[in-house]
Order: sequence, then C-alpha cells, then structure tokens
Amino acid sequence: MALIEIRELEKRFNDQRVLAGVNLDVEAGEIKVVMGPSGCGKSTLLRCLNRLVDPTSGTIHFDGQEVTGPMVDVRLLRQKIGFVFQQFALYRHLSVLDNVTLGLRKLQKLRKPDAEEKAMAQLERLGMAAHKDKFPAQISGGQKQRVALARALAMDPAMIVLDEPTSALDPVMCREVGELIRQLNSEGVTMLCVTHDIDLAQAISEKAVFLNQGVVSAEATFAALANHDHEATRTFFNRTKA
Amino acid sequence: MVNGWMAFSRDLQEQLPLVLNGLIETLNLTVAISISGLLLGVVVFYLSTCRSALIRQVTKGYISFFIGMPLIVLLFLIYYGLPQWGVRMSPFTVAFIGFTLNVAAYNAAYLTTAFNGMDATELEAAHAQGFSDGQVFRYITLPQVLRLSVPALTNQVIGNLKDSSVAFLIQYTEFFARVQELAATNFQFFKAYLFAALVYLAIVSLIVVIARMIEKRICIIG
Ligand SMILES: Nc1ncnc2c1ncn2[C@@H]1O[C@H](COP(=O)(O)OP(=O)(O)OP(=O)(O)O)[C@@H](O)[C@H]1O
Ligand SMILES: [Mg+2]
Repeated sequence: MALIEIRELEKRFNDQRVLAGVNLDVEAGEIKVVMGPSGCGKSTLLRCLNRLVDPTSGTIHFDGQEVTGPMVDVRLLRQKIGFVFQQFALYRHLSVLDNVTLGLRKLQKLRKPDAEEKAMAQLERLGMAAHKDKFPAQISGGQKQRVALARALAMDPAMIVLDEPTSALDPVMCREVGELIRQLNSEGVTMLCVTHDIDLAQAISEKAVFLNQGVVSAEATFAALANHDHEATRTFFNRTKA
Repeated sequence: MVNGWMAFSRDLQEQLPLVLNGLIETLNLTVAISISGLLLGVVVFYLSTCRSALIRQVTKGYISFFIGMPLIVLLFLIYYGLPQWGVRMSPFTVAFIGFTLNVAAYNAAYLTTAFNGMDATELEAAHAQGFSDGQVFRYITLPQVLRLSVPALTNQVIGNLKDSSVAFLIQYTEFFARVQELAATNFQFFKAYLFAALVYLAIVSLIVVIARMIEKRICIIG
C-alpha cells in the first residue's frame, strides 16, 4: 500500500471546480513530481493533504488512515507531513536555530537542550550549522530553503511536501536546492514536489505527473510526456523545455 | 518679577509634599492603565483574529466605539452617571476602567495594523507544522506584532501620561490637580503651568529613552 493514496479528490471554491477527481499515489521512499499550468490546483492539492484546505469530496489515505473525515486529528496529521513553501516562510523573529527548535519544543515537547541537539543535527545535514544564530533576513534565499527543509525534517515527518521550492531562487541556487532534494530522497525521505521548473523536475526525478484542468492527465517519463498523445500534455512539456 | 518667583518657589516648597503626592498619583494611573490597556488590547486583538465571524464583528465594534467616544465623556458617564443607578466608584477606579477601555481599543488597532502587514505564509507554515490557533498566536503572531508596534505603543504610553491629567475632572487629585491648587494659592499661573509642562516633558523624555532601549533589544533584524 502506498504511503499516500488520493482517490477521486475534488475541491470546489464556490462554483470553481479546482480539483475534479484527482487520483495519485506516493510510495514510501519515492520522490514524486507534479507539474501543471499555473492555477491548475497544484497548491490546492498539497493543501488538501494536511487539511490546510478541506476537500469537497474524495478520499486521501495517509499511511493507511483516511485523513478527510471530521474525526481526524488534523494537528497530528500535520506534524507527520513536512511542508516547504515557495516563499520559505521562516519565522522572521526567530533565529535559524529557533526556527527549527520551535516545533520540537512546543509540539514534540522536547526539552531545550534535546531540541537544540536534534535541530543542530538537521542544520548540520543541510550545511546550515554555521548560520544557526543568524536571522532569516541575514541569509540568502537558497540558505532559507535549506533552513525550511531542516525545520521540516527535524520533526521526523513521514514525508516532505514541497510547493514550488525553487520558484523564488536564482538558477544557481535552484540547482543547489535541486541537488539537496535528490540527496535527501536518496537518504530515504519520501517527497512530493510541485513545480513549474522543468530543470528542477528533471534533476530530481525521471518521471512527472501532469495535473491539468483538475485531473491527473498523465504520469510518465519526461520523454514520454513530451511525445504524449494528449495534445495539452505534449504542448506543456515541449513548451517548458524550450 | 523676582518677587513673583520667590513667592512661587516658597509656595512650591510648602506644597511640595502635595505636589509630589500628585505626581505619584499621576504615575500610578499612567503605569496602571498602560499595563491594563496593553493586556486588554492584546485580548481584543486576539479576538479580532479569531475564526468566528461574530466575535470578529463584536471586537471591531468595540474598537470603533471606544476610539470614537471622547474619553472625557466616558469618564463623566461612569463617574457622574452611574451613581444614579447606585454604582459608585472611587475616582481612581473610574479613571482606571475608563482609560483601560479606551487605551485597549487604540492598542488593539495598532496591533491589527501590524498584523495586516505580516507575511501570511509564515502563519500558514506554522499551521502546517501542526500548531494550534492559540500556539500560532502566541509564538508567531504576537511576538512579531508587538515588536513591530513598539513605536505606536510607546506613543500610546506617552498619550496615557498626558491624558491622565483629564482625571482631575473626576476629582482624582493627580499632579495637574495639585499644580492647579498651587497656582490658586499665589496666582502665579504662568510659572505653575510652566513648571507642570517641564515635569511632563521630563517624564515623556524618560519614556522615550526606555522605549528606545526596548526597541533596540527586541527589534526584528531585517
Ligand atoms: N482559498 C481560495 N478561495 C478561492 N479560490 C481559490 C482559493 N485557493 C485557490 N483558489 C483558486 O483555485 C485555483 C487553483 O489554485 P492553486 O493555488 O491551487 O493553483 P496552482 O496550480 O498552485 O497555481 P500556481 O502555479 O500559480 O501556484 C486558482 O484559480 C485559485 O484562484
Ligand atoms: Mg501554487
């Protein structure tokens, strides 16, 4: 059984049917890349996973558990899914270290020294240990995204979800973060990554899922997607490549 | 002229215990309403960010009402109006309640302004980490909003000090009331009020210095 199983997921905002029956699996240990035109509902799909958005209908099983019901402990679910945002979303009033320890101390109830030890291990892993006392405004975009990853990983999540993690970065930093994502995946971190960036997508995966008009219209290798029968898919993957 | 100054300083020395007493009362009231106004302001601000639309509406109403209502009217209403219903309170209590309601509305408005400038994705990230609404408020929203509001909140404390003189109109014998008495004994109005002005100015300067120190220590880098 896959770590995440999404079936016929539908989300409406008023009359707009943003997700119109999405089916998607993410296996433990894999990295799955979802691509699609702007506004196709990629962020909405990710937000449904940890209930930042409540789906209209359909089911999501996370680790065998249905997560869309009213009886679900949403906060516990969220702690199991690390979220990384395009805009980094570091807490600006906290140092790099405190950004990572806040969740450990207040959610996992670790004592301060234990939380700091755990946080430092992750900052070390992502090459940010030397910057632990800096504030978000004092580090570069690529470094911010490393801290965001460290903050997510420190909570020992079952998977990491990334929403356009490189869109706010310059090409060099994009590549850097891409390599990091691949490295983390090779160390066994399950990831679901949404992106516009075909370079990033190809750097971290052989395959991609194409989300279009509210449904998954294809899932294949990049070569297959660029020569797909379906015209919109073919166009998207040829255009983004150029 | 020289005679005038001598008369004034003699009377000031004579009444110094009373004047100092008044000054202490002024500081008492200022400190008390600055603390209570901040605490209630934080509560009102918290309610104004709450998920319930009804509660948000009520807190918005609270803020508009108390910002719109002249303080003196509020104080007279409580001090001279309520006794008709059998509710009698000391001048200090009345001033404390009236000012707190008023100051809290202003402080809540300042905090709301800072909140509107916050980065929404930080709040979303906190929710995505699994923090409850209360935890997000306590660990992310409030620390950021308070720091951003230090200048506005400082101005409010200065305003509290200055406005506290209004309390003499409800028989609260604070500093300005004592200076009035002093002026009435020797008719040296200019000197008495100049003296009052200098004292207020000195305290305001002190508040500004303290606020700068606080701001330096807790400002958000960036
Ligand atoms: N809270 C909301 N209320 C109403 N409409 C929304 C809301 N969130 C998203 N939408 C709409 O849903 C659609 C999909 O939004 P979403 O952010 O999921 O797209 P996306 O694929 O992530 O786009 P992008 O690539 O630009 O990030 C958009 O048309 C958007 O206007
Ligand atoms: Mg998006």
